[in-house]
Amino acid sequence: MDFLVSFFSTPAILLGTFSLVGLLLNRDKSGSEVITGTFKTVIGFLVFSIGGDIITETLQNFNAMFQEGFNITGVIASPEAATALAQENYGFVISSVLILGFIMNLVFARITPFKNILFHGGHALFTASVIGLIMKSYGYSDMISITVGGVLLGFLMAFLPQLTKPFMSDVAGGEDPGFTIGHFNMIGYSLSGLLGKVFGKYKDDTTEELELPKGLQFFSDFLNGVAVLMLILFYVSAIAAGQGFTTELAGGTHWLAFPFIQAFRFTAGMSILMDGVGMFTGAIVDAFQSISERFIPGSKPALDVPTVFQFSPNAVLVGFVTSYATSIASAFVMAALNLPVVMIPAAHISFFSGGTAGVFGNSTGGWRGAVLGSFVMGLLLSFLPLLLYPLLAEMGIEGSAFPNVDYNIIGYLLDRVLNFIN
Amino acid sequence: MYKGLVTCRAGMGSSIMLKTKMDGVIRENDLPIKLEQAKVDAVPNFKGELIISFTDVANDLKNRNLNKYIIGIKNMMDKDELLSKLNEFLDEQEY
Repeated sequence: MDFLVSFFSTPAILLGTFSLVGLLLNRDKSGSEVITGTFKTVIGFLVFSIGGDIITETLQNFNAMFQEGFNITGVIASPEAATALAQENYGFVISSVLILGFIMNLVFARITPFKNILFHGGHALFTASVIGLIMKSYGYSDMISITVGGVLLGFLMAFLPQLTKPFMSDVAGGEDPGFTIGHFNMIGYSLSGLLGKVFGKYKDDTTEELELPKGLQFFSDFLNGVAVLMLILFYVSAIAAGQGFTTELAGGTHWLAFPFIQAFRFTAGMSILMDGVGMFTGAIVDAFQSISERFIPGSKPALDVPTVFQFSPNAVLVGFVTSYATSIASAFVMAALNLPVVMIPAAHISFFSGGTAGVFGNSTGGWRGAVLGSFVMGLLLSFLPLLLYPLLAEMGIEGSAFPNVDYNIIGYLLDRVLNFIN
Repeated sequence: MYKGLVTCRAGMGSSIMLKTKMDGVIRENDLPIKLEQAKVDAVPNFKGELIISFTDVANDLKNRNLNKYIIGIKNMMDKDELLSKLNEFLDEQEY
């Protein structure tokens, strides 16, 4: 019995079991495909945790230097890093919320008019983390946290993509593409589409007629963007913290070599972590898809954002630049206002989230809509995480934050409701 | 049997889904193609003949002279598009 409890409460094995059941329910999977998928889930989750350890270690060094140098907390708004931190103490609750969320998504799609099945495992995991942490912060048992969290997550996975649906045919250039967006900024993207309508009469002045500099493409390479940002951040905080402090922190490494190595170590950790997430969600998505096709008539997939980038690639770059610039300006505003925390935007979040806001804004209001929509997205990505930061910091998420729009709004509402009940 | 790599920028969400859709089309039509999935950084080390991605990433890849057949998909929900692009690849391999 003890063996079973400790075996199945290991998140990697729990998720592996879920994949196994899903793949077994699939008639067209061969025995070897079932085993490969199950093992890949377990291995992928462990790869994810190892990447998380590296990120955590480097973030702790960054925090120490930043705090010493500037006397404020600098928080890198990256959901991957924040999830890795959450995993350390609440791995079981979070994985269970994720699994129940997947199942409840199917249930809600079956019984409500919201026929969306969300296939972005990474984003479902981030949201599961935020919800799980909030539930646990109120001292609820694992059982209650998992049940409430999983049902809420499942509902959001079915419902929120519906908000992007009215914009999908404009986004895809006139024809309904047969899918919606499943990425936890869905409130933000539809807001961007609505804001674009302010410039509705300029709809035909699209971003795709603009000539953009080729250099911006550099940031579309995910790891490049992370590495550049982290190099800047580590050097700025190491120099601000000074030679003495940094030398002590660096151990045997030279204090000016230390920031360089740490920045690339963080990036390597991020790469490992993303590979792991891709690996373990791959098998789950695979199992999940044929189940939904078979048992839920009329269901539509809600997909990750790069699926719409090709419809207006320039809008992605316009949206990225606008929202990143807005978020950087926001960080300076936070510092100037003497807020206890400064949210430092992560370039890859601005690329995917701001870029997609650009695509939505462009579809209803041309390049003017893309700029307005991604400007607002930049503000949301920077300021919304401030709402939950105090609560999440107490739960061990220090030095990183969950930036995306939807889980901050939903998380804040959940927090208010729980606060009211208690 | 040809080997193909399905890829996207971060390798987390959209390429996994695209691979699942592609696998469905390959199975239904019994095409001699076996697919793997990875993020775009894995492309230079890939030993197969075919790379599949969305059109924006595919256009970047085409500029890199990789000496591989590159397919850019516009709408992954459109099975006809997936099938016709795979068939174009197969036709080219035979000559």
